[in-house]
Amino acid sequence: MAATMVSSAGGLLAMLNESHPSLKLHALSNLNSFVDQFWPEISTSVPIIPLVRESDFLSDGEMELNDGNPCNRESLYEDEEFDQHQRQLAALLVSKVFYYLGELNDSLSYALGAGSLFDVSDDSDYVHTLLAKAIDEYASIKSKAAESNDEAANVDPRLEAIVERMLDKCITDGKYQQAMGIAIECRRLDKLEEAITRSDNIHGTLSYCINVSHSFVNRREYRREVLRLLVKVYQKLPSPDYLSICQCLMFLDEPEGVVSILEKLLRSENKDDALLAFQVAFDLVENEHQAFLLNVRDHLPVPKSLPSESTESAPAQNESTAAAEDVQMTDGTPASNANVRETDPKEVSYAERLNKIRGILSGETSIQLTLQFLYSHNKSDLLILKTIKQSVEMRNSVCHSATIYANAIMHAGTTVDTFLRENLDWLSRATNWAKFSATAGLGVIHRGHLQQGRSLMAPYLPQGGSAGGGSPYSEGGALYALGLIHANHGEGIKQFLRDSLRSTTVEVLNFQVIQHGACLGLGLAALGTADEDIYDDIKNVLYTDNAVAGEAAGISMGLLMVGTASEKAGEMLAYAHETQHEKIIRGLALGIALTVYGREEEADTLIEQMTRDQDPILRYGGMYALALAYSGTANNKAIRQLLHFAVSDVSDDVRRTAVLALGFVLYSEPEQTPRIVSLLSESYNPHVRYGAALAVGISCAGTGLSEAISLLEPLTSDVVDFVRQGALIAMAMVMVQINEANDSRVGTFRRQLEKIILDKHEDTMSKMGAILASGILDAGGRNMTIKLLSKTKHDKITAVVGLAVFSQFWYWYPLIYFISLSFSPTALIGLNYDLKVPKFEFLSHAKPSLFEYPKPTTVPTATSAVKLPTAVLSTSAKAKARAKKEAEQKEKVNNEKTEAAGKGKSSSEKEGDSMQVDTPQEKKAEPEPSFELLTNPARVVPAQEKFIRFLEDSRYVPVKSAPSGFVLLRDLRPNEPEVLSLTDAPSSTQSPAGGSTTGQQGSASAMAVDEEPQPPAPFEYTS
Amino acid sequence: MDPKLTEVSQLFERFKAAITRKDYDSCTELLSHLKVLLTSFRSLPPLFENTPNSIHELTLARDIYEHAVLLSVKIEDQDAFERDFFQLKPYYTDAGSRLPPSPNEYMILGLNLLRLLVQNRIAEFHTELELLSSTALENPCIKHAVELEQSFMEGAYNRVLSAKQNVPNETYGYFMDLLAKTVRDEIAGCSEKAYDYLSLKDARQMLLYTSDKELLQYIEEEHPEWETKNGSVFFQKAKESVPCKEIPSLQLINQTLSYARELERIV
Repeated sequence: MAATMVSSAGGLLAMLNESHPSLKLHALSNLNSFVDQFWPEISTSVPIIPLVRESDFLSDGEMELNDGNPCNRESLYEDEEFDQHQRQLAALLVSKVFYYLGELNDSLSYALGAGSLFDVSDDSDYVHTLLAKAIDEYASIKSKAAESNDEAANVDPRLEAIVERMLDKCITDGKYQQAMGIAIECRRLDKLEEAITRSDNIHGTLSYCINVSHSFVNRREYRREVLRLLVKVYQKLPSPDYLSICQCLMFLDEPEGVVSILEKLLRSENKDDALLAFQVAFDLVENEHQAFLLNVRDHLPVPKSLPSESTESAPAQNESTAAAEDVQMTDGTPASNANVRETDPKEVSYAERLNKIRGILSGETSIQLTLQFLYSHNKSDLLILKTIKQSVEMRNSVCHSATIYANAIMHAGTTVDTFLRENLDWLSRATNWAKFSATAGLGVIHRGHLQQGRSLMAPYLPQGGSAGGGSPYSEGGALYALGLIHANHGEGIKQFLRDSLRSTTVEVLNFQVIQHGACLGLGLAALGTADEDIYDDIKNVLYTDNAVAGEAAGISMGLLMVGTASEKAGEMLAYAHETQHEKIIRGLALGIALTVYGREEEADTLIEQMTRDQDPILRYGGMYALALAYSGTANNKAIRQLLHFAVSDVSDDVRRTAVLALGFVLYSEPEQTPRIVSLLSESYNPHVRYGAALAVGISCAGTGLSEAISLLEPLTSDVVDFVRQGALIAMAMVMVQINEANDSRVGTFRRQLEKIILDKHEDTMSKMGAILASGILDAGGRNMTIKLLSKTKHDKITAVVGLAVFSQFWYWYPLIYFISLSFSPTALIGLNYDLKVPKFEFLSHAKPSLFEYPKPTTVPTATSAVKLPTAVLSTSAKAKARAKKEAEQKEKVNNEKTEAAGKGKSSSEKEGDSMQVDTPQEKKAEPEPSFELLTNPARVVPAQEKFIRFLEDSRYVPVKSAPSGFVLLRDLRPNEPEVLSLTDAPSSTQSPAGGSTTGQQGSASAMAVDEEPQPPAPFEYTS
Repeated sequence: MDPKLTEVSQLFERFKAAITRKDYDSCTELLSHLKVLLTSFRSLPPLFENTPNSIHELTLARDIYEHAVLLSVKIEDQDAFERDFFQLKPYYTDAGSRLPPSPNEYMILGLNLLRLLVQNRIAEFHTELELLSSTALENPCIKHAVELEQSFMEGAYNRVLSAKQNVPNETYGYFMDLLAKTVRDEIAGCSEKAYDYLSLKDARQMLLYTSDKELLQYIEEEHPEWETKNGSVFFQKAKESVPCKEIPSLQLINQTLSYARELERIV
């Protein structure tokens, strides 16, 4: 017989009104089990359900609902015979009804009244929903309490109990990630610790926790607390993960902790520990926190004795001398002068290791290696520049200097200045400020050339005393260039720049230009060091109230004080109100904004002050302050504020900047940006559209994100010229290092750029944008990308600051060079114990074509009316000799081509083929392999990182398996001789296949490069 | 036989005896005891578990509740009636297919309809009506209630009052008395809206009273806001008390302005 089902809860509800208590109880418990079915009926009778006391409610919302029949309920709950259990049961029932009605607040407050009857382990929608609600509620109460610094937050103990029950359940069930998430959200560090220590894979959970705390903990203070806890847990572990600890310590700004760890590792007998210490140091350097790194280095003990020729085993000796030389080169420490015979081998190795680590921490080792990598792998396409140069009108100075900018960006950090050398005549057309930027461009090209930077720039630098030697513009530019070369690593050059600044007095002709350059240079070199003396020097310049020098001084002060939130900001603000010069105000506004970099809530008062100012320029600075203080946090409050200004401010400049600032706030979540600014990108106001384009460019830089490209595409053909300019630049930033195989739109974009540049009728503004875009697209010899986050998800302070100042180019073109600060090389560089680059192969488990360099451009045909079939040339020349030879070749090809023009495509392609040194066409014919062997050091673009595998039977094993950056390698066969692929000596001849560029590079370096990072001879281009 | 069942049966016999004795106090007490005992049977609603004695238990429980309903009419307790009726209802609707039909079913359903009519809960009245089968509608008890409702709706109040004479069951008398009052309330409500004032004579006729004294007493008890002077009843006061609604102009203006402001901001 089919079971009979009740069709209505009416009977049970009626029973509730019975006077006998046991009848009520019976009715309640039955209703409770049938509530899922009959809640609509029960909901109409909620008022008659006997209830808990009102003081037990969290909110009073339900009172309105029950107003219909309050007396009924009152009379029942005051019934003393209504015992505790019954009340709880009633509360649970009402809670369920409210849950079905969608009134979660009420439901929760009644569920709390239900006490232990509310079973967290029950697997029903009701329980899940309410638990989520309870946790949300609890978390918001806790965080509100924390924000108002109210220790005695009156949290409902029952609420707390539920959350704790839930946490305990998660931990016992092994759902540690959930438990950690809840604990962090609810600010229960005790529970967090418990969850971590009780988890089965502590390392995994810890790293998960670090990720979570970076991406989801919004308040800086609280994040620090979490990290401090993590460090504590880490240190308790038997085998601590030093890499992660040091990252945490860096965020907490506790150099002592890092020092003690490093020391411990260095003192160890084991060579692997030393490798680990080096790896830690490299990882710290990657985050570009200069002040912190200097602190760590200063805290490290100075090696008492220096390694000398010891009579230890032969390989050890070699190593130590090699290291000593290396140190001497990098650090300038007189390492090999020691004739002292060291007796204690332990001390020797310790001292030697100390020297190495100091070299790494100062950033010199990594900079030098990067420089070598960029030089040897330079793939920039001179033909693009040539095309630009030819198509740009001679008299158009904007496009002329844009070409110079593009060249600098294209060759950033490669030390290749072939283009400039070949076109000295053309270059000499740059006068005044164009000359300033042309000289400064050398700084970008030679970026990181720390040892020879000064001698490189020597011919242009102001000669002490004998003024009038060079033009003040090139002198100023040279000072700026020195700053760019030494950006964020200005130990060695600071003093020189200071002296130059001081010695430039009012008597000197065009003194303000030199001061401008010196201020910028000094700011760059002393980035974030908060050096009081330098600050005072710059302040003196500011107080001369000269517009040109003052602007640079304002920015420079900001650079100096980046992220310190010092009270100097008040001083700067006061002067900004005082001065008459808009330029100075603008410089100061940006400077003030820079001082609050990354301070999040701490900056709120200052931001408030700036955004409420009468002066639009200061409000504009306020937007930057918002952008930088909350950079990369995706903080909702900041976004809301920015969006508000973006639509409501009266000044176009402020609106543009507000939208642009969104890019900075959101760069940690690039997927979000296109969605958020998509409406703004269709605004009627061109300034807002421009801002939207740059916002996408900044936050999605180097990602090649499809939505970003789709958003920018229509903007590149906007009706307003400067919007086109912004969109082109932004597009280039997004597409940097993406090749056509990845996204076909890259090819389209390249062709569009070419078209704009060649088009005679195009506006100068968009033409300039196109020229810059071609530069950015091939940044750093196609081996650099724009990266604002390090691999460990820390902000790269230099990069962010660089982009922020770069976005000022709207007002002042020379600031374009700041973009070079945001470039970081995309390479995997494996290092052995001696910090040399051994030959070592690893696997990229993807089709080579996905990540290969873009094909070199074709020679534009002179008679451009008909699209002629063109030959593919290998034009990636690196040395000037090579380039010269190529010029001859090209002529030849041109001749050939005119002959071949009529013959059709196939024949001309063949011709091209025969010219090829490395024949890609032939490779194409056969099916493409699904993997590729890369040789250390190799270009690994960000998208490629997930395909990188290390070979199992390799001689070298990485200390940490990172897909890019500097990786220390453990040598499993230390007795075999090592083959080095990047050395200071002419490398390519030594190692037969030095790098992925095969024969070509070999021949190139054999022909031209004798001593690689030698300063090229200076050239003059005085007009 | 199950000892518990026996206990209930015995108690029920005592309860029935008490009813015939008209000892209503002990009836109520016994009934409450019975109900508590019934909760321990798992075959009863809402669980409806299949136990060997389920049919017997269900029948007994239904009997008990039917008596409880009748008792509530006798002691003139409308709330108790409602409670007991709702508890009885599942035996008719859900368990109806398993039990032999009860002779009292239609009588009790009709009583309930009448109660709803008395309490002027017309919506619920029709809901109940819809749930009944066509054969049930033919039953004189039900038919009576339906006809009453029709007269009530038509406004044929005299027919309602005269229907008291031909009730199908003597238990209906209590509700029929109450119905008269419901009808008067209805009339009073309509007159209030329809007239500014009425002479006492007209009012008496309208409210179906036989004497002025009864009328005045009714006015005093139910409608103290009515005014009686110069041999007339004035309804003015009641009308005045209804406040006239204002147009929320300020709120509307504010809203419109804010829309305009938002529109301006659209980018």
